Amino acid sequence: MSAPKFERGTSLSIFVSDRREDFTALIFAFIIAFGVMLTT
Amino acid sequence: MIYTVKSPALLIIGIIMLVWGGLNKSGTVDGMQSYLQKSAYGDHMKVKEKFDAESRVAIEMATAENKPAPEMKMPGSKFDHAKADQAQLSNIFGAAFVLIGLFTMAWKPKQGNLDYFTSVVPGVAYILLIAFIVRWGLDPIFANWGKAVKEAGILSWDFAKILNLNYVVLGIVIGMLIVNVFKIPAWAANGVRTARFFLKSGVILLGTLYSAAELAQLGGLSVILIGIFVLGSVGVVLFMGKRMKLPNSMTAVLSAGMGVCGVSATVAASPVVQAKAEEIAYTIGTILIFGVGCMFLFPTVGHILNMGPVQFGAWAGTGILNSAQVAGAALAFDPHGIETLKVAEIFNITRVLFLPIIVLWLAAWYVKHEEGAEKVNLAKVVVAKFPVFVLGFIAMFALSSLGTFAPAGHYQGKYFSSSEIKEDKLLKGKETRSLEGELTRLSAAEGTQALSKYLVDKTVVLEGHKVTSNETLKALSDLIANKKLSTRQQGNILKSLGKMEGFDAVAKGSIDKAEKAATHDSKTIKAYRNWIAWLFAFGLIGLGMQITGKALKQAGGAPLIIGSVVGTAKAVGSLIVVLMFVKEFV
Repeated sequence: MSAPKFERGTSLSIFVSDRREDFTALIFAFIIAFGVMLTT
Repeated sequence: MIYTVKSPALLIIGIIMLVWGGLNKSGTVDGMQSYLQKSAYGDHMKVKEKFDAESRVAIEMATAENKPAPEMKMPGSKFDHAKADQAQLSNIFGAAFVLIGLFTMAWKPKQGNLDYFTSVVPGVAYILLIAFIVRWGLDPIFANWGKAVKEAGILSWDFAKILNLNYVVLGIVIGMLIVNVFKIPAWAANGVRTARFFLKSGVILLGTLYSAAELAQLGGLSVILIGIFVLGSVGVVLFMGKRMKLPNSMTAVLSAGMGVCGVSATVAASPVVQAKAEEIAYTIGTILIFGVGCMFLFPTVGHILNMGPVQFGAWAGTGILNSAQVAGAALAFDPHGIETLKVAEIFNITRVLFLPIIVLWLAAWYVKHEEGAEKVNLAKVVVAKFPVFVLGFIAMFALSSLGTFAPAGHYQGKYFSSSEIKEDKLLKGKETRSLEGELTRLSAAEGTQALSKYLVDKTVVLEGHKVTSNETLKALSDLIANKKLSTRQQGNILKSLGKMEGFDAVAKGSIDKAEKAATHDSKTIKAYRNWIAWLFAFGLIGLGMQITGKALKQAGGAPLIIGSVVGTAKAVGSLIVVLMFVKEFV
């Protein structure tokens, strides 16, 4: 990606590390999973 | 550094979404939608026809009895639901983007978290708008064109289907066009970097669609297949790299990328073999250029070979290098179902689970071939680099296997329930009479003999035992008595019976109708599928935006030659093995 340089994250992610991205994705996915379960 | 770029773009995107939501709600774009959603519109016209007829009868009856005409409301059709969904999504996101857009225009950004995370929103809105256009517009337009060209006799095949011109492929192509032709606008640059996060979220959420029983059926097979091809690919790359005199670190990092799971494996293996930045870039370039080719080619080959979802999923999960590209190919092959994606991801996840083994192997290989290499703490590297989202997928799968999200029978997206069959879906007189005719015929000596022979010849097996003619006749008589199917087992027996030579066509149609009436959509699973499709659509458009000409050029030279040879061998080898040994059993 020909994006400008970012001081935070990498050219592929807004997160400071892959680990942080993974954990945030985990929390996000669980919110969706339980949200769907409770609303359908 | 200040990340927020002052631009009216977010506000404009929000307004466009709100306008689209309003137009759908008011019915102004019904004409266009009837073209875009032909099948749902067909269902709508049937519902309307039935409703009009019922209304006429009700009004006539009320007039005859001197009563006021009853107030009746037409039930919602698939077309109405689809429009309502579009309106709801457009309005929710449109309103949020307008508010944040107004805020960013009025606000003087200061360095910090608020500036950083606010600056992400325009890029998210940008990809989401493209995702809306692709999923709601381009995908159905190409599907209609493909069918129209075939029906007009211009082509004997559906070009949109064969070339997989669906929202997945179109999304990636548009992403690539934007980054290579127009460039990503500065106001969107920060938000475009969220694509991988949404892809990972999609993979984790995919765990909600698996049940332990399914994994048990595929697990052993996927471990054997993946084991052979992952270890084989790593070994061949190490051998070829040595023969072509590539640096050891380059060879090792390329072998991890080609063997395991593309970019993450490359990154995970790089500290173990002390790879240089340009070597990592070469490897990622090679994986991307080869993977992009596979992503477009695999679904076409799959359709030409008439592969089923399990076969194609197994092939894509084994033969394609990158997790996102596996998902892209699976969705391109089967954009409206999720079976292929599920199987492909099981194979993909199994492959990722080989990462620690490969890392250990490469470390040992590197230390042996590179004298004086600094000692690397393997356990530390594995703990630090193992992708946590894979563990998230497994946790989600464990919860879904326990029945947390939906009852066990719902995981295919459809489930069997006799008690939920509506009165108007029961078999009618003509239909039960046709079944009675077949029951009489098959109960006679000659008929029973033919039935027994058919069951033996076709080896009709259910839950591990061979189905008998008595069981079949009992299922048929129960269907006639109840005017509906009582159990899924009886449904399966009767479905096999319907395929028997000489079986009455009307009676077969009645069995199909009874089967359809007893099969219901699981709302929860449908909602999960929808979420996953959106997360993948978003992530794959963003993935397309990362495939630059520069990255593709980086794949040139020896790494590309080795990568292409090994990748092609893996793709062809896994195709042969899958076609020989993988059966459709999901």
